[in-house]
Amino acid sequence: MLSRVADAIYWMGRYLERAENITRLLLVTEDFSTETQGLEESVAQTAWKDVLAILPTAQLTRPVSAFAALSQPYLTSFFLDVQNGFSVHYSLRKARENARAVREALTIEAFMSINEAFHAVEGYARKGLTDPPGLRDALGSTHKSIFSVIGAIDATFTRDEGWHFLKLGESVERIYRAALILRARLPALLASEPRTDLPLYYSQWRSLLRSLSSLENYRKAHGARLEPELVVTFLFFDAQSPRSLRAGTATIKECLERIAGGRDLTPAARLIGKLYADLCYADAKAVRRDESPAFLDGVVDALTRAHEALTAQYFVT
Amino acid sequence: MLSAVKWVPDSHGFDEAFDRTGTPRSHYRPLVTTLETFTQEDIDRRERLQRLALVDQGITFTVYGQKDGIERIFPFDFVPRILTAREWERLEAGLVQRVTALNLFIADVYQGQKCLKDGVIPPELVLSRKEYKRELLNVLPPRHVYTHVVGTDIIRNDKGDFLVLEDNCRCPSGVSYVLENRNLLNRVFPEFFGFYPVRSIKDYPQMLLETLLHAAPRGTDSPVAVVLSPGIYNSAFFEHSFLAREMGATLVEGRDLVVEDNHVFMRTTAGRQRVDVIYRRVDEDFLDPLVFRRDSLLGVPGLLNAYRQGNVAIANAPGAGVADDKSVYAFMPALIEYYLDQAPLLGQVSTYVGFRKDDFAYMREHAADLVVKTTGDSGGYNMLMGPFAARKEVDAYVAQMRKNPGNYIAQPLVELSSHPTYTGGRFEPRRIDLRPFILYGDKVRVLPGGLTRVALRAGSYVVNSSQGGGSKDTWVLAPRRSG
Repeated sequence: MLSRVADAIYWMGRYLERAENITRLLLVTEDFSTETQGLEESVAQTAWKDVLAILPTAQLTRPVSAFAALSQPYLTSFFLDVQNGFSVHYSLRKARENARAVREALTIEAFMSINEAFHAVEGYARKGLTDPPGLRDALGSTHKSIFSVIGAIDATFTRDEGWHFLKLGESVERIYRAALILRARLPALLASEPRTDLPLYYSQWRSLLRSLSSLENYRKAHGARLEPELVVTFLFFDAQSPRSLRAGTATIKECLERIAGGRDLTPAARLIGKLYADLCYADAKAVRRDESPAFLDGVVDALTRAHEALTAQYFVT
Repeated sequence: MLSAVKWVPDSHGFDEAFDRTGTPRSHYRPLVTTLETFTQEDIDRRERLQRLALVDQGITFTVYGQKDGIERIFPFDFVPRILTAREWERLEAGLVQRVTALNLFIADVYQGQKCLKDGVIPPELVLSRKEYKRELLNVLPPRHVYTHVVGTDIIRNDKGDFLVLEDNCRCPSGVSYVLENRNLLNRVFPEFFGFYPVRSIKDYPQMLLETLLHAAPRGTDSPVAVVLSPGIYNSAFFEHSFLAREMGATLVEGRDLVVEDNHVFMRTTAGRQRVDVIYRRVDEDFLDPLVFRRDSLLGVPGLLNAYRQGNVAIANAPGAGVADDKSVYAFMPALIEYYLDQAPLLGQVSTYVGFRKDDFAYMREHAADLVVKTTGDSGGYNMLMGPFAARKEVDAYVAQMRKNPGNYIAQPLVELSSHPTYTGGRFEPRRIDLRPFILYGDKVRVLPGGLTRVALRAGSYVVNSSQGGGSKDTWVLAPRRSG
């Protein structure tokens, strides 16, 4: 397929996944901050500050008033502000721009659902929603409409090279963002001891699992009991849960292999293969103890270099 | 019958749907009767559905020179324009004749120039056109076809006669709207189709692909055709992408192509792949920066050499634009007789050519009564509608004309036919034209339908999408089966 088309489809996959990730992160953080701000405002504050580490944004939208809810500027900025390079609005716009540029390479159903999802968010932005319940409601609808895009793609795309580039973009973005979420939240969580306020402590772990769409999957594997050790092992090394680092890396590896089609090992495949081996054979205990920040740095670095390698190989020809 | 539906027939020109007494013409009667069974709310609801469908499907065009809302919907009016089998038969025969002659003319201009030597058309007029490309002299395109796709604009005068207004021999656009309009009307007013044998237009993409592959250089087993677009910011990008998808062809931009050793390749994830036919939707001046415009970033360096060597076909062929020049248009009736030894089947609008001294003197004096156009522009840009312009505008335009008389032509204002169009809760007459699409492959074929453009503003004559025009579904009825 055309290099330019592969490039656009890859980025469409990344931006769609990013839009979904941001939407989910906002919904989960908003829940957590509403629940905790009366009990322990600093914890709620920290949860929102972490969002800034995961989605490095230059400037937040100003709160509408001094009495606005803690979450209000974050929600407005990361949901609707199209100037913010990490907002849902911006990500969907980029996903649509890429889709529009290669429209003939997509199915009609896929393009139409992206188009609709984008126009809906554009509509919310035009209305200038500011109250958190309204924003929440719109975020919920947006989350659903992003899933219908993913469903339309899944149900109509032929599994050719274009599909593999789309899934490649999606999985690179997913694991990259998951690694950033873990890097922002894990050190503080592992350092804090469950003292008096047990419910708050567990609420933070639950929130971490939910921001990686993994709470229910974790419960299926380990039941409702939240053991920090089990949670970390699950998020890093589970072989089935789609947002665990290991399962996501396996998807990237598979996409790269399908695209290369049995030809020589490519530089990107080499990097991802090594990362996957680490995720299969690392000492889970050591990672849990105190090596997690270094390990996560390694994941982020490998993904960045793999992205550069595949860009050079496939998109700039 | 008492109905909420109100019709206002036209009082000026030819009304396609009603006769002078306000009675529906027989082929419009079932449509009028069906619409009268609808309530106002029904109609408004359907119209909303239709607008929504346009936005959701992203059927848009891009307006140049406007800062915001660059992407616009091409307004669609749901009252279909109906052509009877007999009307179409006449039109089709006339178009086939005209396109055959156009192609012979272009081939002659680049090979032999007999028509110039025989004085059918002044040589200086043809050779001074900016669309005449000396670089392509004696280069024969594969199968000698220059005009693979032609869009000829047709109007109807006050007697209802079809007249040719202009030919588009380079890259005529609009066919995607023809196809989408039909889909849209099928969905929004399925009732309309119950009473009419409407000829299908759905196989246009297949026809187009056959036409393109027919043009492939000989000796290629399974030729590869691509659609070449200037990219997403071009006003017709939707159409480029639509046609590529419908044909199953790759949509490329200039930067996707590379010429090596006089062969054309596209850059793919698996390396370079050979290209045999290019359906170019890029103006020819931008095709190859080595030959035409050096500042062009859209083009493919070396493309023209590959074409000259016969290693790639380009549709429409570079240089074809010489035939749709507006002053060449004035000579088309003579050219048809010259090449085919037949009288032209379709009339056209009488035209003053600025290139001729006497004509220009007349144009200068009567500019206020004429429609004056530049020979090379299309899309309704840079024209003067004398009868509607203020004195100052006319004077300024005439001053422009004096600088380069050969660059202008003028025509009397021709009344366009009008058609009931739904506007503000009523059916009012609005002026329309028609662009049929003609394909030149192993033979010349006309798509049974076309783009009916409508001037949505009351009293307006300008149907161009860039200037407030909309479009309608265009029906060609199948002949009644006898017996």
